[in-house]
Amino acid sequence: MSKNKTDIDRRQFFKSGAIALGSIAIVGVASNYLKANKKGDIPDTNYLRPPGAINEETFVSECIKCGLCVQICPIQAIKLADIDAGLDYGTPYIDIREQACDFSCDSLQCVETCPTAVLDFQQFKREGEKAIEKYDQEMAGKQMDKNYNPFKVQIIAMKEHVNMGMAKLNTSTCLAYQDKGFKGSVRDDSFEGVNRSPYTKDRKATPLADKKYDREVCDICVKECPIGEKAIIMEVMSDGAKRPKVLDACTGCGVCVMVCPTEQPSIIVEPIKA
Amino acid sequence: MFDLFANPKKFTPLPAKTKEEMPHSKLGIKYKDWHNNHENKHKWRNKRWAVLLTINGLFILSFALDLSMLEGSLSGSRLMGFYLMDPYNALQTIAISLMQGHFPNLTMNFWIGLATIVLFYSLLGGRTFCSWVCPYHFIAENLEKIHDYLVKKKKIKEHTYNQSLRYVFWVGFLILAIVTQQLVFEDLNFVGITSRAMTYGPGLILIWIIVFMIFEIVYSKRFWCRYVCPVGATYGMIGKISPVTIKFDLDKCGYCTDCQDVCLVPHELWFVKKGAATQDVHYTGSDCTKCGLCVDICAGDALNYTVKGLEKLT
Repeated sequence: MSKNKTDIDRRQFFKSGAIALGSIAIVGVASNYLKANKKGDIPDTNYLRPPGAINEETFVSECIKCGLCVQICPIQAIKLADIDAGLDYGTPYIDIREQACDFSCDSLQCVETCPTAVLDFQQFKREGEKAIEKYDQEMAGKQMDKNYNPFKVQIIAMKEHVNMGMAKLNTSTCLAYQDKGFKGSVRDDSFEGVNRSPYTKDRKATPLADKKYDREVCDICVKECPIGEKAIIMEVMSDGAKRPKVLDACTGCGVCVMVCPTEQPSIIVEPIKA
Repeated sequence: MFDLFANPKKFTPLPAKTKEEMPHSKLGIKYKDWHNNHENKHKWRNKRWAVLLTINGLFILSFALDLSMLEGSLSGSRLMGFYLMDPYNALQTIAISLMQGHFPNLTMNFWIGLATIVLFYSLLGGRTFCSWVCPYHFIAENLEKIHDYLVKKKKIKEHTYNQSLRYVFWVGFLILAIVTQQLVFEDLNFVGITSRAMTYGPGLILIWIIVFMIFEIVYSKRFWCRYVCPVGATYGMIGKISPVTIKFDLDKCGYCTDCQDVCLVPHELWFVKKGAATQDVHYTGSDCTKCGLCVDICAGDALNYTVKGLEKLT
């Protein structure tokens, strides 16, 4: 009697076990299908990975979807993807038109907090140390700069090392290309994004909708760029007209996209696909 | 330590207690009075729910109010700056990172977090995580009552399976992670999904959870927790050597099996049936979630929390 019972038990276990393995196999096939047919929602134009992201394939497979980078971002630029992103579910991204990464944290905490180093902090640490070393070498024997602050030297070097993407102008809609100026606030009142503007010399990030601009020729993207003249400038053309121009040091932070006053942003960021 | 691998279930059962040996006879009262004398105050259940809601509340508040107390989600978190890692998630990550050559890049925080969790739960009884922390457990524990009600009214039939099914899923999902080189399980993981949805806002993924909840209500009780969840299975393995567990005194037992009725993993209380116990003292195994429901309901105080090895001191 009891032997018969264990027999039934065993048979039932094998049966349910087979169903279990079968369903896992189906999940496997489905995920491989999703991987092969990835639509490329993230990273995509204006949808970027957070700073310091390693190559996309390793990023998706090694990100444990804990959300620590989301938590630590002071301006909540980072969001987690939903299941409509397929296998990217739970991975972090930045929608720069809604909230760009304006570096107002001053320390790239999102990168530093990542436990699996898919946001790789080591590269930034090296850059920061290198910058301080370089400063020390340059200043050897000379009088110390009064404004010297090793933290600042470090953070500037780290910031400039960020490479999320590259900004690209759409010259057909850009106001400056039509020699137009801009007056008023760049986004409507309901816009929730914030930035720490180098232009208005904010001490911390404040709502963008509250900011009023009055430019004869629209150069808001250039004024608000947290990297500054290394990344984007107003180029003076031969006829004296001024046009924004993106330079190599652009980090793809997306502030220019967020502050662009045209209906569809006239400047976009293409992600760096490593 | 020597009886770690011995299975008391296979020993010869002790003869069932005679009427004189029953606890009510010793007190000189009727069995019914002895059984009804006990009031279920839900002492441990209330404590447990308070702990569970506090932990999950801290996740939510840390994000909503920027408190920096307990950040992240149950896949990986920081408690006041100190990292904690989910062991099954970490195991998959390690496996994938070895395949992809990312292994040396895993941060020290990752290893500290993993070691902390493994150490903590190997002391406090592995699946303690399930009933004291896991947000899905809290939902399922309450949904279970609807299921029980429907079974009682004979609207639906109960479907049970072999608990070892969990290990099939455990191995299966680990192999799947290695084959696809993706944390595929994280797209299905109830613990991670509920934890993330709570903190960072709900998403479409919750449809998966809700569909499964309905399945659990109308078909098989606690299907995910009992037969699938590899996270719980991992904690179960970690908790095998745990000193904190539930102790059963045959001497005080009145064979009422109330405890098995409330137990969330009834097979762990196999020894409470009349004539089933093989020793005077039994400890619950690694599937036990240390929820304390049996401790609350036991009329004879036969079941209690204990720390193995420290009992002799008190």
